[in-house]
Amino acid sequence: MKYRVKTALLGAALGLGTLLTVPLASAQESIYAPNLSYRTGPFAATGIPLMNGQRDYIMMLNERDGGVNGVKIDFDECETGYSTEKGVECYEKTKSKAVVTQPWSTGITLQVLPKTNVDKIPILAPGYGFSPMSDGKVFQWAFNPPASYWDGASMMLNYISEGDLDSLKGKKVALLHLDHPFGKEPIPLFETLAEKHGFEFLPIPVGLKEMQNQSSQWLQVRREKPDFVLMWGWGAMNAGAITEAIKTRYPMDQFIGIWWSGHDGDLQAVGEKGKGYKSISWSVPMNDAPVMADVKKYVVDAGNSLLDKPEDMDTVFYQRGLLISMILVEGIRAAQNEFDTKVVTAEQLRWGLENLKIDDARIAELGMTGMVAPFSTSCADHTGHSGAWMLEWDGTKFVPASDMLTADQSVIKPLEAAKAAEYATANAPWPVNEDCKM
Amino acid sequence: MLYRITGQFKTNYRSDYALFPVRQDMFLLAVILFFAWVVFPLMASEFAFQTLLIPVLIYALAALGLNILTGYAGQLSLGTGAFMGVGAYACYKLVTIFPDLNLMLAIGFSGLFSAAIGLAFGLPSLRIKGFYLAIATLAAQFFLVWLFEKWSWLYNYNASGAIQVPTIDMFGITVSGPTASSMVQYYFVLFIVSVITILAINITRGRIGRMWKAVRDMDIAAELVGINLLRAKLIAFGVSSYIVGVSGALFVFLWRGAAEPNLFDIPLSFRILFIAIIGGLGSILGNFLGAILIIALPVILNIIPEAFGVEVDSSLLEHINIMIIGALIIAVLIIEPHGLARIWAVIREKLIIWPFPH
Repeated sequence: MKYRVKTALLGAALGLGTLLTVPLASAQESIYAPNLSYRTGPFAATGIPLMNGQRDYIMMLNERDGGVNGVKIDFDECETGYSTEKGVECYEKTKSKAVVTQPWSTGITLQVLPKTNVDKIPILAPGYGFSPMSDGKVFQWAFNPPASYWDGASMMLNYISEGDLDSLKGKKVALLHLDHPFGKEPIPLFETLAEKHGFEFLPIPVGLKEMQNQSSQWLQVRREKPDFVLMWGWGAMNAGAITEAIKTRYPMDQFIGIWWSGHDGDLQAVGEKGKGYKSISWSVPMNDAPVMADVKKYVVDAGNSLLDKPEDMDTVFYQRGLLISMILVEGIRAAQNEFDTKVVTAEQLRWGLENLKIDDARIAELGMTGMVAPFSTSCADHTGHSGAWMLEWDGTKFVPASDMLTADQSVIKPLEAAKAAEYATANAPWPVNEDCKM
Repeated sequence: MLYRITGQFKTNYRSDYALFPVRQDMFLLAVILFFAWVVFPLMASEFAFQTLLIPVLIYALAALGLNILTGYAGQLSLGTGAFMGVGAYACYKLVTIFPDLNLMLAIGFSGLFSAAIGLAFGLPSLRIKGFYLAIATLAAQFFLVWLFEKWSWLYNYNASGAIQVPTIDMFGITVSGPTASSMVQYYFVLFIVSVITILAINITRGRIGRMWKAVRDMDIAAELVGINLLRAKLIAFGVSSYIVGVSGALFVFLWRGAAEPNLFDIPLSFRILFIAIIGGLGSILGNFLGAILIIALPVILNIIPEAFGVEVDSSLLEHINIMIIGALIIAVLIIEPHGLARIWAVIREKLIIWPFPH
């Protein structure tokens, strides 16, 4: 009897042992790329389409090409619910084998950023995070391609002034922004440009608790009568602002949001009434692009997508999610070619992200023509500063409403350098990339 | 049998009032301390330090501060998060103004700022009681978080409105900032938490603690026997806010590394209130048990499926996790409304008389 118990225990232990070792063994032939997703919590509505897009692009590559250069990408999600605390937990959990951190929240980026120099894992924050992260000499491990918030702000101003900022002289530009690190991000650039070109800049903060009820902010808009309202909103704030704008009859064609304020779901609620609302965007939805057909064939039709219904593919955020994963994969590919290896390490991926060459030919090869503007990164420029387009809500969907816009780098670059240096001194000793001679 | 107290005779008052009248309690605590000071740090991975050990200690300390006010002195507070924020911002200003200041001292001083603000918001407690006082502390919560957002001097005019912890050395060892090792940070936190816990145990056992309990149980009666209510309540507010402020400074400097104002918003206050309630109001041990349940358990539940090689979708896991924790909280409160500390007390009682229950 005793003997039998012993064998049973031994068997159980062996079984458990194999269970524990099997995942470790198979992890060798793939590249582990976690995503700190938020499919739960207050921002889930905007997070889910983006996360779906990111996930489906990698799934498509794994199905169609067997991964990147024959190595599958082990794409994993770690749920944060947009909470910084969970974010740190996820970061600690994944950092031992991850080649990249995709923090997905300015709060988490803030916490992880100082650790990158120690842990040596690149942060990939496409279209969000600190704008000064663009300075690759200071922020060696952080990347925010293809365009930063300051690029977005500059392009918005170029659009409303039709390319000549001096024509804004004497006009009033309001910035309706979330009172949070993310929303405050563009303020330094607006202030610099307002001073230089003589227009009046009016920041209107929206507290996290007031996101759904912005009546006092829009009362201020009504009183101040700004010529343009620009918006840095996220989550529930976007829908709140758009409904209030309609209520106060603010002209929609003078109301422009950043790329995170161009979510189909927010506008669908108001439909026709939101017609004319614009959002600057570095991605353009192309429902008939070849890459979309492949994603549909290999992932969505195969039933491997987490989308509720296939029509959800035709949204701005889903397709932006695809592009975000594309940037990551192109970084991996560049690193594979440079180091002549299949399974890249985090340090090699850093090189890859630093040497992205996304030109028109490459975009066409990827089947993404027209979805994103060409850009390239370097050791000094971790953003790439691509162009972007104005998307306009036509009552049912977002359509491109402008030619490609570009940002005024002569203003952005010095500001980036100044703010990056400020960060480095505040966080001294902060290692700077001396080898970069650009 | 393990907890047999027969034969442990008390021959004088001194030994009867000792901190541990029962030898087994002392032995148990020694084992726990041995684990906390020696075994855990030796065995823990970076992940365990950063998501289990350090946060549990810091949250337990914050709950301890709240427990002194709510559990011992009976004054309900919903402003704990904001008082933690006061400690954190005070510490940030101290270390940026005086870069050579010892971090241990800076954290100690920052508690004083929090205590001062706590006293100011505690003043109305003489006139308003119960839920009405809770509303007054809620006002503190809103006001202080608003202040953290608007007063840019507090975050040194940082463009994103957040505070970033600089790298600070103490006696040649880096204790905060990205290069600090987790073990050093753990010992730093453990040291402060141990010292404050010992002080708290002694305050609550002594004259002041009895004064608080009298006020809590019936303040009119307490006044009639000669207790100065204003003084008792204000001491409670001061001591409580001091501890909460220290925990806030530890929260940002030894753990998070960066903080934005809304981190100190109501959810944090509620979280700490839950720890105190589930752990057991009016107990010191309860804060630690509560922190383990609320802070550490979700993390452990999250890694269990992976450890057994089961693939579970991360967001699904999160939902399951929330449900399990929610169910556990309700279960604990149904089984023992006085919290985990009381459950332990009952178990201990049973162990003492085992195997002969009467």
